[in-house]
Amino acid sequence: MRHAAVVAFWILAFTGGAAAEKEAVPAPSRAKPWAFTSPHKSVPPAVADEGWAANSIDRFILAKLQSAALTPSGAADKATLLRRVTFDLTGLLPTPQEQTAFLVDSSPLAFEKLVDRLLASPAYGERMALYWLDLVRYAESDGFKADDYRPNAHKYRDYVIRAFNEDLPYDAFLRQQLAGDEFEPDNPQALIATGLHRLYPDEYNAANLEQRRQEILDDVTEVTGLAFLGLTIGCARCHDHKFDPLLQTDFFRLQAYFAAMNPGDDMPAANAAERRQYDDQLAKWESATKDIRADMDALTAAKRTALRKHALEKFRPEIQEAVLTPPEKRTPYQVQIAILAEKQLVREEKTAPTKLSEDDKKRYQELEKKLTATKPAPLPGAAVLTDIGPQAPPVHLLGGGDWRRPKEVLQPGVPVILGDDQGSDARKDLGGLTRTTGRRAALARWLTRPENPLTARVIVNRVWQQHFGVGLVATPNDFGAQGEPPTHPELLDWLAVDFVEHGWSLKYLHRMMVLSATFRQTSVVTHDDPRLAKDKENKLLWHARRRRMEGEAIRDELLQLAGDLNPRMYGPSARPKLPGGLGSYAWKPDARPEDQNRRSIYVFAKRNLRYPLFDAFDLPDMHNSCARRVRTTTAPQALLMVNSELTLEETQRWSASLLKQHGGDERALLAEAYRAAWGRPASETEIQLGVQFLDRQTSLVGSRDAAVADFCHALVNANEFIYLD
Amino acid sequence: MGPAGLIRHRESPVSRRDFLARAGGGFGLLALASLLERDAAAVPASALQAPSVPHFPGKAKSVIWLFMDGGPSHIDLFDPKPTLTKLGGKPLPGTFKRPVTAMGRTAYTPLLSSKRTFQRHGQFGLWVSDWYPEIATCADDLAVLNGCWADGLNHVGSICQMNTGDTLGGRPCLGAWTLYGLGSVCDNLPGYVVLLDYPEDPPGGSRNWGTGFMPANYQGTRFRDGTTPVLHLAPPNASHGTNDSARQRAKLDFVQELNRRHRELRRDDDDLEARIAAYELGFKMQSAAPDVVDLAQETAATKRLYGLDQKATERMARNCLLARRLVERGVRFVQIYCGSGSKWDAHTDVEGNHSRYCRESDRPITGLLKDLKRRGLLDSTLVIWGGEFGRTPMSESGKGRDHNPYGFTMWLAGGGVKRGVVHGATDDIGLYAVEGRTHVNDVHATILHCLGLDHRRLTYLYNGRDERATVNGGNVVTELLA
Repeated sequence: MRHAAVVAFWILAFTGGAAAEKEAVPAPSRAKPWAFTSPHKSVPPAVADEGWAANSIDRFILAKLQSAALTPSGAADKATLLRRVTFDLTGLLPTPQEQTAFLVDSSPLAFEKLVDRLLASPAYGERMALYWLDLVRYAESDGFKADDYRPNAHKYRDYVIRAFNEDLPYDAFLRQQLAGDEFEPDNPQALIATGLHRLYPDEYNAANLEQRRQEILDDVTEVTGLAFLGLTIGCARCHDHKFDPLLQTDFFRLQAYFAAMNPGDDMPAANAAERRQYDDQLAKWESATKDIRADMDALTAAKRTALRKHALEKFRPEIQEAVLTPPEKRTPYQVQIAILAEKQLVREEKTAPTKLSEDDKKRYQELEKKLTATKPAPLPGAAVLTDIGPQAPPVHLLGGGDWRRPKEVLQPGVPVILGDDQGSDARKDLGGLTRTTGRRAALARWLTRPENPLTARVIVNRVWQQHFGVGLVATPNDFGAQGEPPTHPELLDWLAVDFVEHGWSLKYLHRMMVLSATFRQTSVVTHDDPRLAKDKENKLLWHARRRRMEGEAIRDELLQLAGDLNPRMYGPSARPKLPGGLGSYAWKPDARPEDQNRRSIYVFAKRNLRYPLFDAFDLPDMHNSCARRVRTTTAPQALLMVNSELTLEETQRWSASLLKQHGGDERALLAEAYRAAWGRPASETEIQLGVQFLDRQTSLVGSRDAAVADFCHALVNANEFIYLD
Repeated sequence: MGPAGLIRHRESPVSRRDFLARAGGGFGLLALASLLERDAAAVPASALQAPSVPHFPGKAKSVIWLFMDGGPSHIDLFDPKPTLTKLGGKPLPGTFKRPVTAMGRTAYTPLLSSKRTFQRHGQFGLWVSDWYPEIATCADDLAVLNGCWADGLNHVGSICQMNTGDTLGGRPCLGAWTLYGLGSVCDNLPGYVVLLDYPEDPPGGSRNWGTGFMPANYQGTRFRDGTTPVLHLAPPNASHGTNDSARQRAKLDFVQELNRRHRELRRDDDDLEARIAAYELGFKMQSAAPDVVDLAQETAATKRLYGLDQKATERMARNCLLARRLVERGVRFVQIYCGSGSKWDAHTDVEGNHSRYCRESDRPITGLLKDLKRRGLLDSTLVIWGGEFGRTPMSESGKGRDHNPYGFTMWLAGGGVKRGVVHGATDDIGLYAVEGRTHVNDVHATILHCLGLDHRRLTYLYNGRDERATVNGGNVVTELLA
């Protein structure tokens, strides 16, 4: 599927090109690429071993295994399964109580009950958010040079966690993120959700705002394609896609849905009543403080004007013109340019009070004190992406993707290969919206139609990857010709259709996957297993795949072992301690340890300062959409686990609590340590090894307590902690 | 994937070969290979990945990149402009296209003539100003690019492009591409080391030596001051007691014992082996890294050669000497930020600013070139000098100069490049590159070429695209090649 002929064929087919030209394409190429046709739900195949299959997933898996003369592996033992499913669904270690409860529960429904409990736990949403935030290049700072803090970004993260915990249907989740302001203007959470497309790296003080505007639109278009469609549409920015039937015009037609974008940094995230109430209060306050504000304005007027003029001069004449044109006369394009410019101008103007004479400064501060004393508390703000109004600026095809080379004007539309175009009548269903174009809502509606060939398949595949290590399509952001073909196409389609039939419920999907016999297989394979020769890469899933903890999970579990994990959810991010020498972007840690010790999902996501543990363990770069983390094994990881303050201090505290609990009973202490860190009972040999280590280490360091700390530290450095069977 | 072939890397199914390569990555693939052979008899040697073979024999084995952070003024250093001297104080003549400048108004301010004295130096007669009297003595070793140009206007985008080829973040830097293409031959040190002379980061911070969409093991390791240059090389303080190496060794032995037992049933899993090896490499690095930064091993004469004995040159001297010691040990890519934190950014007073930072860097850079040469290392080491852009002929605030990405100078010396050549030129006032125009992507293509890598064949598949270090462009500047 990698030739222009196929692309041409499908474009022609869609646009009603001459039948004769269709004939010119060789017959085998004419099958539409699988990802561009709607999924079909086939009947799960009959299998010889009905007893093994726990649900429909297993029938598809087993049928493939049988046709390759492979057999599935036996089930993992209960302790392994408990640790695995707890990690998969919550990113945490099972607690001792949870271990005991599950291991003694011999009812056939024990596993199901466990899964339901995990899905209901708040930690589930925190776990799932990790994957989603990777996908949408989440960060709480701008990047570029200033790397400014984005005070409202965490609200988007919190929205994602809540959405997963409440099992917000995926179609609604998608609609809110793309066009929450259009669908539910009165729902603050839906406004916050549009923060998805405010996550792009940004340089607020860029001089070339026309270029910046285009870069933002490119980013938003590319991320939309990757995250929701699983298509590398960004490849078509500069030219027609080389491998997929995607045209350069498709990229810019998709971009046109966002062309009216208005990036607001502090939009009130409140419903209409709250907004009205606030507006009333504000109006009253404004009239009451009219004189004070006039005095303050007078004090700074000259300075402000000068600062503004100075800042404005920096821009090209076209940008200055946009700013100087009266608002009602601006073209939609000028409106956007002026919005971007104003962010800089206002920032400059705000420095005026600091530049007054000492006397004036004093006077100004006194007035300000009076003013703020009575000011109504502002409504909670959100960083949103809405529209500048009902009119969008024209979108041009850009030669070579270069904003300086505009060509013909394009209307919003979905990629030609994906069928009909709803862009042109986008406003039809929105019922008199006057504040936006309705374009993003139209795109969201198209994406969430049940017959959309990609939306459900793409998300189902992402969830599959979470539980089976590799997606049914191994390239989750690329369902095109350069991506991997699905290993189990019928299963992928079955899951996609079934998922939509079950109300786009992600919890339903997770539940079905982890309850499958496929999921419950052991991951332990002997090196001489004959099945290795047939399917070394385990593409057909004849055993479970071993997991490696992410840096985020390592930190969470270290804190958990030490009893330090603070379960507080939501709100501004935690700033844990940093090692010295990290340079000028380093943050100041939170004053209270408990604030530092919240789950990793709440750790400040700063583009120019990556938290060292996460960084060492393959944190994505937070600029691009990441659908699957690479997994490296490096010496710096080892050094970090051995020498970092975090690992040393947390294992020290863990060992102290073990000593307190089991001080007199060394064997009990060792058993408890193994059980806690590795999630399984230790063997007699392992206890013996521990005893011998403690003896040796005590004679080396002269302290039994220090030896126990070393033992705990060793357990979390061991592969059995980092890797889960 | 294959030696001398199309180096291509898929994100998805990860092979054993990939894994072992990744485990080594910046930390010595050879070392990893031998370790695994010794440690894990079950692993056939053929499965182990030695450093990748270049596309063709490259003259340079290592790179030392001297990055003048903030943008040095080419027209006051290597690119004399008599016409500018004549036009000083006058507005930009109408014959020049008015540029977009970072400060906006500097597109309209009067021209500022250079106060420097330029002379031709060496047998090839390269121009060097009196701000760099010592580097002038090495003029015959330099290959000067006077027609450089770039796309960014601000520091962060421009530094980003000089490192990654693109003004927007998210791509791997050239050091990462180099490690990806060539691997590292260094036994126990990172393959890519970054050195800063001031506490401030260059704009954008560690993203400048990051890997973007590539795996983290190709990233640069920033050396810190002091005896433990690598983060987490030693425990944070002695109160943990673990700096006692016998105690740590005993603990690690226990970890490895647990790991070997764990692996017994899981011999099909290469990750587990790689992690065992990574711990041994980390342990070795704990002694190797402090050793490389121990400058006491150098003679007083060598220290003097670099200017380590003088306050003004001490910072840069230390880093230049370190760079030589790193390259000597096989480190592939060393980047020195000179004046880190945009110190060369002479907006208000180019004389005051540049006289300081030229003074700080002149002797150390010269010492490095001479030291590499006398040790026979210059032939296999490519030294690069330059900033993220140059500076405008138009004045700013009277005595300063604004950013100029439209025309500026870089030079290369050593492995793979001609001696004493000049390629490209700016116009009569040094505003635009007009001859032998060399884009940042061209510079990168040329550097990779010197290392034996074809920038069109060095690709990494990411989100459906075969990405290149040179993005969509890049031509090797063949005029420079030896």
